[in-house]
Amino acid sequence: MQKKSLWKFGTREVVYSAIGAALYAILSIATNWLQIPSAANVSFRPAVAIPMFFGLAFGPIVGFIAGFLGNIINDLVAGGGGFWFWWHLGVGLLGFFPGLLAVSISNYRNIKSILMTELFIVIGVVVGIGIASISDIWVSGMSFSAIIAEDFIPAAIPDLINGLILVPILMVAYDAIVKRSGR
Amino acid sequence: MLVTWRYRIRNGLMEKFDPRARWIFSFAFLFAITMFWDARFLLLFFIISVAWYFLGRVSWHDSRRGWYLVTFMMFMMIAVNTIITGGGAGGVVPPGGHQVWPQGTTIPLINWHFHFGLTYERMWFAICQFLRIAGISAMFLIIPYTMDPRVYGVTFRGLGLPDRFAYSMELAFRYVPTLARDFGTTFDAQRARGYELERVKGGIVKQIIRIAPLIVPVTMNSILTGEDVTNAMDLRCFGTRPRTWLYKLTFHWQDYALVAFSIFLLLGGIVTKYAFHIGNFWVPDFWLRLAGK
Repeated sequence: MQKKSLWKFGTREVVYSAIGAALYAILSIATNWLQIPSAANVSFRPAVAIPMFFGLAFGPIVGFIAGFLGNIINDLVAGGGGFWFWWHLGVGLLGFFPGLLAVSISNYRNIKSILMTELFIVIGVVVGIGIASISDIWVSGMSFSAIIAEDFIPAAIPDLINGLILVPILMVAYDAIVKRSGR
Repeated sequence: MLVTWRYRIRNGLMEKFDPRARWIFSFAFLFAITMFWDARFLLLFFIISVAWYFLGRVSWHDSRRGWYLVTFMMFMMIAVNTIITGGGAGGVVPPGGHQVWPQGTTIPLINWHFHFGLTYERMWFAICQFLRIAGISAMFLIIPYTMDPRVYGVTFRGLGLPDRFAYSMELAFRYVPTLARDFGTTFDAQRARGYELERVKGGIVKQIIRIAPLIVPVTMNSILTGEDVTNAMDLRCFGTRPRTWLYKLTFHWQDYALVAFSIFLLLGGIVTKYAFHIGNFWVPDFWLRLAGK
């Protein structure tokens, strides 16, 4: 698959942003029941791997839109408490940061590529969920320590685990497609 | 897998407003309310928000799931953080204050005496927090139930988003039923091979790995389909000229009025807060009299 500019947003990117967003929403809805054992009201969302992977494969803008728009669609379908702009933004950033590697990775099976991706997933989760959590200082008047304990840790840890496990699996599968189709 | 939107026509007054005007109003409200911690202003915003919410004519049955989530969130933020631990009041409520139980309190039966540092100021802050969070929640919770998903693309185009981004949004909404169907087909196919998504045995990692046989085929199939869609769009010269939209939005007098009110709300908030320095956290005298001061 021919890689071009990191910030290009052509027809291909338009289509993959839309697919990524729809896929994220569908998978989120399908796995909403998946709860962390012995934790209260914290659910796993394996779908976070989708914006991360789409960012990596098609660029940071695609990754951002897949997460941002996908989270909006998920709320529209699941009625998850309304339109929380800052949390949509946070999920968008989960896809944005791995997307910064989009032009530098060509072999998705390579251990070095996978490790680099894992590193950018960690950065994306810390920044994305961090920004979303910090918004509660402004909106709800919570203290920094409270948002770390109540917002950041319960949201960031499951996203990290999901991203770190599922994105490499998707990368290996995508590598087969790239090699087979020569795209 | 059946995916349905929360939106349906309810013939509420809210639906008479242009979605662009509604977004402008919602964001103006958000930025305006977050400038204040004074309960008098917050009460005014809360009333506006509740009135707006009822214009949507959304029933409790429809919106209860969203409200359960908001209630849980408010409980954690207000009851746990502000009332019990005091963490939620950091930075807004001045240190010190009038304690509710200055001599400490004793738990009956176990005779445990302890000092619970709850102050009247923190209790008042909890009321302010409730007004603010409930006001914002009502304003934004109503959107999925009252805004037609088919007009999201054209709405954000109308709000200044570039054509390609707006079209991406439009396309995503249209993809949802298709991908839901693909997901359902894959799920059924995997189950026929003995796959059990619902099995909750095993640790967290095992549960996530168990998702892979579902996520991988659906994702890869979507990527392959995406190439065909891209080619089809390119062949039709997508993006060479500004596009036209299936749904056309037109501003009416009520939309201009709503936008004018939004500007008034935002500018009024900015002037009140930053020119007159009014609207910071304030505790009324009658409340402090409860503390005997």
